[in-house]
Amino acid sequence: MSLIQASGLSKSYGDTQALNGFDLNVEPGRIVGLIGPNGSGKTTALKSILGLLRLDGGTLDVLGLNPYRQRKELMTRTAYIADVGILPRWMRVDHLLDFIEGVHASFNRSVAEAALEKTDINFSKKIHVLSKGMNVQLHLAIALAIDAEILVLDEPTLGLDILYRQRFYDSVLNDYYQEDRSILITTHEVREIEHILTDVVFIHRGKTCLALTMDELAEQFCKLTVGQESEPQIRKLAPIAERKTLQGTEFVFRGADRDALAHFGEIATPNLVDLFIAVIGEQ
Amino acid sequence: MYNTNSAMYITESALSVAPMSDWNDHQPIYLQLKDLVLRQIVRGLLPEGEAVPSVRQVAAQERINPITVSKAYQMLVDAQLLEKRRGLGMFVCSGAQELALNQERDRFITEQWPEILITIAALGLDAATLLADNSGSST
Repeated sequence: MSLIQASGLSKSYGDTQALNGFDLNVEPGRIVGLIGPNGSGKTTALKSILGLLRLDGGTLDVLGLNPYRQRKELMTRTAYIADVGILPRWMRVDHLLDFIEGVHASFNRSVAEAALEKTDINFSKKIHVLSKGMNVQLHLAIALAIDAEILVLDEPTLGLDILYRQRFYDSVLNDYYQEDRSILITTHEVREIEHILTDVVFIHRGKTCLALTMDELAEQFCKLTVGQESEPQIRKLAPIAERKTLQGTEFVFRGADRDALAHFGEIATPNLVDLFIAVIGEQ
Repeated sequence: MYNTNSAMYITESALSVAPMSDWNDHQPIYLQLKDLVLRQIVRGLLPEGEAVPSVRQVAAQERINPITVSKAYQMLVDAQLLEKRRGLGMFVCSGAQELALNQERDRFITEQWPEILITIAALGLDAATLLADNSGSST
């Protein structure tokens, strides 16, 4: 059973079409990367999944619920970390825990405290004095303490240094991930998460333009690097992208016969950056 | 204490000294991870009878998805290098080092050595030059 099923979602703000035929399917145990250029509709898609906005069209089912109409129940079963600090800056850390404990039905305070014990965060400090990295740690500790079936992360490591990034993913994979839960994540740091993902979804101009498991990606796409002399021959085989590199010219193919291409040069699986440029560029 | 600890147990078990290995695009990561563990067994860095880091630890440390780690471990179980002990995790089998060493030797002879020969031929080197250079650098 899918945790998230979205089909043909549309949403516009005035004359700006933020979502225009967005599809997504997330099954339990998956770590799904939603990747798209700036302004492609990523945040709008996440917000609609969390019931934070009313859609213009399409069908959306999250944990068997209609997110916009049944947001209250949805909130007890999902956790969300936004790309901007949204924790109340004037509150003390311990007061924030008191508050969430009071308003949130499935918040387990001892889990949050245990996670915070591992950090340098002082419980009596106000949130506005915490560093950016600590702010994200605090938010993650709270998210982990909610027995959520879906964790939604919108650019979670934006502005964090390498150490905090490593700690963040350590914590997500060690403390949150389970086979019956899913993670939906957007980031521009594609290389940073590419191997964590089990699935990738490309969004462009509000529309899903590619949705694959990482295994399918490796089966369907390949990258061929050849020397100059074979370039004209390779172009006839309908690559979806080409790029000059120090090693020669790189061509990306979709649905090509790897063994046949291997006669011309070196074959590899395109990484997400290669693929993103190829697929978005193709549109 | 947050990450220093988790970094420590991985280092102790020597699966990776540096956080995050460099993966190449030519092979699926589970195969690269399998080879990494295999080489650690050959070198005795993962001793026979010792536990290997859990799937989650490796996934978090290497920032790869847990399914990938499970796949690699399963291949090593199939190759009789690792064994699952119920409720305790994965352990290096007894006799694994010898077995892994033989597999590495086979692979060197069938995969790497032919490529090295091609490189030697392409560079116009011969055995006498190579062996002479080698003894020269070791003094």
